[in-house]
Amino acid sequence: MKEKKILDSKPRSPLRQIAMGILYFILVVVALLQLYPLVWLFLLSLKTNQEVFGMSPFALPKSPRWENYINAWFDGGINQYFFNSVWYTIVAVVLTLILASFVTFALTRMEWKFKGVVLALFMIAYMIPLHSTLIPLFNIYNKMNLIDNPVSIILSYTTFNLPITIMILLGFYQSLPREIEEAAVMDGCSVHRIFFRITLPMTAPVLATTAIINMIYNWNEFVFVNTFISSEKWKTITVGVNNFVGQYLTDWGAIGATLVISILPILIVYLFLSDRIIEGLVAGSVKG
Amino acid sequence: MKNVMSNKTAIILYVLPSLLLVLFLIYIPIALTGYYGLMDWSGVGQMKFIGLENYKKLIHDKLFWESTWHSVLLALFSVLSLIGYLIVSLILASKIKGGNLFRKIYIIPMLMSSVAIAQLWIKIFDPMNGLINSLLSMFGIKETPLWLADPDMALYSVFIPIVWQYAGFYIIIMYAALINVPQELIEAARIDGANAFQIAYKIKVPLISGVLKVLVILAVVGSLKYFDLIYVMTGGGPGHATEVIASYMYKEAFGKFNFGYGSAIGFGLLILSMGATWMIQKMLRVNQE
Amino acid sequence: MKKKAFTWLVLLMLMAGIVLSGCSSSSSDSASEGKSGDGKIHLKFMHDWPKGSSTAYYNLVEEIIKDYEAKHPNVQIDVEVLNPDQYRDKLKVLAASNELPDVGLTWSNGFAEPYATGGQFAPLNDIIEKEFKDQFVPGTVEAYTFNGKSYALPMEMNITYIFYNKEIFKKYGLQEPKTFEDLKNIGKTLIKHGVIPATVGSKDGWPASMWFMYLADRIGGPTILTDVIQGKVKMSDPAIVKAAKEVQNLVDMGFFVKGNTAFSNDDAKGYFLNEKAAMFLTATWELPNFTTSPDVPQEFKEKVGYFKFPLYEGGKGTDINSYVGGPGLGAFVAENSKHKEQAKDFAAYLVKEWGKRSVEGAGILPAMKVDTEGLDVPQMYLDVLNDINNATNITTWFDTQASPNVSELHHDLMTALFGKQITPEEFAKQHDDALAEEANK
Repeated sequence: MKEKKILDSKPRSPLRQIAMGILYFILVVVALLQLYPLVWLFLLSLKTNQEVFGMSPFALPKSPRWENYINAWFDGGINQYFFNSVWYTIVAVVLTLILASFVTFALTRMEWKFKGVVLALFMIAYMIPLHSTLIPLFNIYNKMNLIDNPVSIILSYTTFNLPITIMILLGFYQSLPREIEEAAVMDGCSVHRIFFRITLPMTAPVLATTAIINMIYNWNEFVFVNTFISSEKWKTITVGVNNFVGQYLTDWGAIGATLVISILPILIVYLFLSDRIIEGLVAGSVKG
Repeated sequence: MKNVMSNKTAIILYVLPSLLLVLFLIYIPIALTGYYGLMDWSGVGQMKFIGLENYKKLIHDKLFWESTWHSVLLALFSVLSLIGYLIVSLILASKIKGGNLFRKIYIIPMLMSSVAIAQLWIKIFDPMNGLINSLLSMFGIKETPLWLADPDMALYSVFIPIVWQYAGFYIIIMYAALINVPQELIEAARIDGANAFQIAYKIKVPLISGVLKVLVILAVVGSLKYFDLIYVMTGGGPGHATEVIASYMYKEAFGKFNFGYGSAIGFGLLILSMGATWMIQKMLRVNQE
Repeated sequence: MKKKAFTWLVLLMLMAGIVLSGCSSSSSDSASEGKSGDGKIHLKFMHDWPKGSSTAYYNLVEEIIKDYEAKHPNVQIDVEVLNPDQYRDKLKVLAASNELPDVGLTWSNGFAEPYATGGQFAPLNDIIEKEFKDQFVPGTVEAYTFNGKSYALPMEMNITYIFYNKEIFKKYGLQEPKTFEDLKNIGKTLIKHGVIPATVGSKDGWPASMWFMYLADRIGGPTILTDVIQGKVKMSDPAIVKAAKEVQNLVDMGFFVKGNTAFSNDDAKGYFLNEKAAMFLTATWELPNFTTSPDVPQEFKEKVGYFKFPLYEGGKGTDINSYVGGPGLGAFVAENSKHKEQAKDFAAYLVKEWGKRSVEGAGILPAMKVDTEGLDVPQMYLDVLNDINNATNITTWFDTQASPNVSELHHDLMTALFGKQITPEEFAKQHDDALAEEANK
């Protein structure tokens, strides 16, 4: 990997330097814009409702309300919901990735009839609007006795993320070199061995990418949880956010605090996974 | 040798679990949506079969077509924005110093939930205290726009946060794809005297065309069924100026208790998405040849 | 090496996931077995007052439930709380699957009607007759009555006033208006001094509608909007069109905060709480914010006053004690409940205790008559309770009275009226079309 860091070995002309300067200026400005929401969220979390509305979003809170965090943690029930969010997300992401990889592998590397049909089935599944599914899904889970059971959430997250994950993986699988796999076939490897030992590791950067996307979706989801779960003990952190929305009053400071608490774990995992995107880098980038 | 890759047991083992999940949890709802679309049903109590009445109504429903137009506009905007994201991704993936750091930062807004993003942008667009209008009046502009409150501007105003929210999603995928482009090809081109633009256009972009094609489909279908920010920020208003198919469907089914008609809208959306995807595939295939 | 590690990590996580989900599903099984095994009657109760945003409501409900469980050791109340939007959606999904909770809350009139006539709610006439005779504020039970049967026990009762900032009024020498003309003049004075006269969240539709409803009441008489719902009068009645026109006149003169068609009620409220707008037409559910709420500074609370919506010269509504308002939530019992009698008993207990404790305990005006004698609450509450007792008429909010279909349309049209996207005539016509279509069904 390192030997490829040849960078721009060309001599730098002044014009090029100016161009780079402008480029960096733009990059930095955009970066600041992208960081602003985090700052805004943090400020929001320290404000009273009165300060949130009718004042400039830049305005600093008069006296920072750290108690918003205490409110969020206890009144919003975050302490309880947090762990649920974590394990629903992990289980669903892992299931989705492995199932989607299986399917994509079969669709792009294996020989069989009905490939087109199966692919179309997955693509169409991506197109259904969420609100059309709620009543039928509730019925299905109800018949299976899965209402108020985390299995319904895991199943929903996994299934509804499958189509988009398969489609993204598909794009990558198509452009990945097949030589190693072909060589392995020649050597008499079994399909499973090829999949687990060659293809899956080779797609690590892509898996990291889709893992990030899946994780964000699952972490921020609340419609399924609200519909299929009724006990407090199975609810997730986004429900905590919504606990501060009332009919006549919404406690925005506490919502801000909840959002800050809830964004931290995925921010950390994201930064960690984000490095995997390049580290796994073209594991099988075979010559040619 | 071929036998290994056409091992029936393996294929079934790999495809069937996912297929069953999707058939069971997505296709049953799709079928039921089509079925409810044939009913006069408030969602509570008895259903009444009315054949294609709902669909006939749909075809003559001005609001439905207006919402469809708004959704299609959003789809166009999203596809156009892909070009911007591609440029950003090309820059970030071109091994410039700090590219990795910039990439990490650029994707951060994607981590935020729609609740937060909606509130943020409502504040940014606020006609009196908002970020944009504060800046505008600092430059001496007196008649500042109303943004979300102006029926002529609301739709485009609400597109901005949507496109912004999804920037991270597309950039992270494009970036991963570009990073996967074999370095040797780029080196070879460079030795042949190709400059950065030529390498990007002639080598990198064609090599990730598979991924790009998928992203175009995702952008179009995702836009057609888009709901979240629009519903929170404008509720489809003022006066339906920002109504999109999904918000219209939601209002009919859940707000107005017209579950049958709402289902018909949902089914219409599904057909529209299928048509759009089919068209994109046709177009992109032709382009590639 | 790293690649391998990653693969193993993925596999490990997968296994952990399977084990974990296995564990949890089995533990939930045992939990549900425990439910049936503990020999108690479990009543499901759903409400939409989350602890975070509606603390006073939430705590009061918890308190009452605890007392009920103490009195009935064989009953356990399983509570589910959602925020109002999600509550509405979930109720809908549950009803479609015949799975409503044993006891829950419902809004009145148009919202309750599909559930009531669709056989989802149980009629409660017997307990109303037996336990609540003459105890509810007149008009509240009727809001949940369809075809002679009453389907919920009303819990809330609100009326609307124009709340105003006394300090701003004093600064510009303004008096509480007696007539609509006075109100407009106040607006003119405030605009001249660069103060926003009134704030309104017309994105949501319903806050905007309060202005329209009062003007219709004052111009066309107190029954005119109810008559529209009942098909006796058309929306295109000159009095109603005039009311819509007056709304737009106010918009034209700059009476309302700029950009209000993109403001939710919360956004709009911020302008009043921050003293940037002088007036805010809203309902009595805001009283805690103007009296007891610890989240609002005391100095601001002392500045808040209220007045009744002024009369319109030459209008048919000549009584200032006619209000726009109505019942909010009421408690229903599911028709399919397995423990219907127990559920009714709990609902009755809940509403009764609610009526006794809500004013002092939570600052909420209940739908039951309240004895103001010896009540330890801020003066504003006593005044308001007095006003309710002396009210000659309370017109239930138009959007509440209307069917869900017309109600949604009404909200959209209100936003459009405030945004000047439609004329008063079009506003009336679109209502009439929808109402006519409904009548033909």
